[in-house]
Amino acid sequence: MPPPFPSFKSKEALQVLFRPSSVAVIGASTAPEKLGYQIFKNLLDAGFPGKVHPINPKAPEILGCPCYSNIDAVPDQVDLAVIIIPAPLVADTIRRCGSRGVKGTIVISGGFSETGPEGEVLQEQLVQAAQESKVAVIGPNCQGVNNPHHPLCASWPLLTRRGRVAVISQSGTVGAALMDWASQEELGVSTFVSLGNRADVDEADLIHYFAQDPNTETIAIYMEGVKAAPKFLEAVRQCQKPLVILKAGRTPKGRKAAESHTRSLAGRDEVYEGVFRQFSIHRANDLEQLYDFSKALSYLPRLKGPRLLIITSSGGSAILATDVAEMTGLDVASLPDQVAQRLREVLPKHCIVGNPLDLTGDATAQMYRQVVEAAASHFDAIALIFGDPIPGASEVVGGDPLQLVIYLGGAEVERQERLLFHRKGIPVFPTPERGIQALSHLL
Amino acid sequence: MALALGRAIQEGRNLLEPEAYELLASYGVSVPSHRLVSSAEEAEAAATEIGYPVVTKIVSPDILHKTEAGGVLLNLNDAASVKAAYGQITEHARQGKAAVRGVLISRMAPPGTEVIVGLTQDLQFGPVVMFGLGGIFVEVYQDASFRLIPLAERDAAAMIHEIKAFPLLQGVRGKKPADLEALTHLLLKVSQIAQENPEISEMDLNPVLVYEKGLSVVDARVLLHQRAPTA
Repeated sequence: MPPPFPSFKSKEALQVLFRPSSVAVIGASTAPEKLGYQIFKNLLDAGFPGKVHPINPKAPEILGCPCYSNIDAVPDQVDLAVIIIPAPLVADTIRRCGSRGVKGTIVISGGFSETGPEGEVLQEQLVQAAQESKVAVIGPNCQGVNNPHHPLCASWPLLTRRGRVAVISQSGTVGAALMDWASQEELGVSTFVSLGNRADVDEADLIHYFAQDPNTETIAIYMEGVKAAPKFLEAVRQCQKPLVILKAGRTPKGRKAAESHTRSLAGRDEVYEGVFRQFSIHRANDLEQLYDFSKALSYLPRLKGPRLLIITSSGGSAILATDVAEMTGLDVASLPDQVAQRLREVLPKHCIVGNPLDLTGDATAQMYRQVVEAAASHFDAIALIFGDPIPGASEVVGGDPLQLVIYLGGAEVERQERLLFHRKGIPVFPTPERGIQALSHLL
Repeated sequence: MALALGRAIQEGRNLLEPEAYELLASYGVSVPSHRLVSSAEEAEAAATEIGYPVVTKIVSPDILHKTEAGGVLLNLNDAASVKAAYGQITEHARQGKAAVRGVLISRMAPPGTEVIVGLTQDLQFGPVVMFGLGGIFVEVYQDASFRLIPLAERDAAAMIHEIKAFPLLQGVRGKKPADLEALTHLLLKVSQIAQENPEISEMDLNPVLVYEKGLSVVDARVLLHQRAPTA
C-alpha cells in the first residue's frame, strides 16, 4: 500500500501564481538598486496585461503608478501579491492578503528556515498563515516567477522570450541562467519558477501543474533534494512529459551545502540514481546537460532506434561525436554499400565516404542535403556537424529521419545560422559531445 | 506471515539465521540444506545427514557479525573437525557473553560468482533493494545499483546490467556466464518479501553464490524495525 501523501495543489490554486489578472508588489521600492524596484519595473517592462499595484507606505508613486500604504488600500481586486519585505512581517502580510481576496503570493524575502532556528519559527508561522488564509505561496527565499506566455515577470533579470521548457529551480540563479541561455538562443522558456525554501508549493505540485500546461513540452528541474518522496513519485508517475533533473548534493560536502542553502535533505545519490532510472527521469550531470537535454526533448522527436549517421565538415568533431555516441548506446553503423557507391558518384573525390562521412573543409550546405537524401532510409538519426562557416545550413535541414544539428567553428556565420535554425524550431548544439549526449536521451 | 517472522516479532529481536533461511525458502529462494543443533554429537549427526563438506555457524540473537566474532568455520570435511568446530565457536560466543541458540550446520556451497543482494531503508524513499558484486566491488568501488520496491522485472534486470562489474557476470577468462535469470528472480523475491512483510527493515544476503544454473544464498541477515516490546 503506498504511503499517504498530501494531495497536489489544484490547477486553479496554482494558476493564479502564473496567470494572474492583477498583481500587487508589497515592498515595491523607489530605489533602483533594490529588488522591490527591479521586480516592479520588470513586471511593467515585460508587459504584464493587467493592473500592477506598488505597495509602500513611504512612497506616493513608483514608476508612475500610484502607491498604496497596504494591501487593504488597493481599490481593485488583487490576484497575486509579490512580497519583498523583512521576514518577521511576512506571515501577517499573507493573512491580510488572504482576507483581501488575494489567492497567491510569491515571497522573495529571505531570512527563514535557511538562517537557523529563529528563521525556522518564522517559516512555520508563514506556513500556518498560508494554510489558514488559503493562499498559495511560492518561496520564501526565492527569485520569483517568470511566465513569458502571460507575460508575468515577477522575477529578475528581465527576460521575455517564450519557449517550451518549464524551468523549476531550487536555486534562483541556476534557473535564471537556464532561462538566460534559452533567451540568448531565441528559444525561451514556458515558465521559470524559483522554489526557494518550498514552504508551501513544492516541486511535486509544479510537476503536476506543468504536466497539464499547454505551453510546456519538457520540465527541467534543478533540485537539491525532493521535499516529500511519495508525493514527488506520484507526480512523476502521472507526468506524461519528459522530466530532466539536475540533482545537486552528490558528495558528503555537497550534501552539507544543500542543507544550509535551502534546508534540503540531499539524500543518498546512488538511491536517487536508481529512482531516476526506475521512473525514466533524464538525469543531467551538470547545468549544461540540464539545458541541452531539455532542449533536445522539447524540439526533437523520439528516436525509433540507435542507428546514427554522422555527416561532418570537421574530422576531429566527428571523432568526438563518434566516441560519445558509442558510449551512450547509439550505433554509428556502417554506411550500406549501395549508398556509399551512389555518394562517391555525386560528392567531390576528396570526401571520405563512410560513417562518419567527412565532407571536409570546403563542404557546402547542399552536399549535406545530398547525403541526407541518399542515406535517410537506412538510419534512425543523422547528426549534421557544421564545423566551418557554412552559410545556408538552416535551409537544408529538416524532415525524416531525426536530424541533429551541431554547429561550431563558424564564427559570425554560425551565430546567424543558429538563430535561423532556432526560429524554425530546430535546436542547434554547440559541441559534438553536447549534441550527441543530448541525442542519446531521445532513445 | 512467515512463522519465523512471527516468533522474532514476539520476542522483540531480529531473525536468527535459520529463521532467515526459513523465510527465504518459504518464498522459493534456494538456500543450502541445514540443521540447527545444540550439541557436538548432534552436530556430527547433522553433518553426516547433510553430507560433507559442511559449514558451522553460531546462532545467537546477540551476534550480528558472525565471522568477526569467530562464529564461522568453513569447509569441514569430517566428524572430528565438526565436533571440534562446535566446541570452538560456542566457546567463543560464551566468552563474548552472547546467548547461544545453537549452531547451524549447513552444506558448504560450491564456489560461484559472489554477489550481494540487500534491502535497506532510505531516509527519503523508504525500502530500496540493492545489488552488487561481492568481495571488493560494493565496499571499495561502491559499485551497486538501487531501486525502490516494488521492483518490476525490467527494473531487476536493469539493476544487474547497470553495475560496472557486469561483464564479470557474463563470464570472463573461461568462466561460464552466471545465471542472470535466477538472479533477476531473486531480486524480485526480495522485493516481494519486503512488500509483504513491512516489519522487515533490512535484509543482507551476502554472499549469494551464482552458478551457471541457479544460485545459493549462503548467508542471510534479516533485521526488523525496532518496536517497543509489547506488555
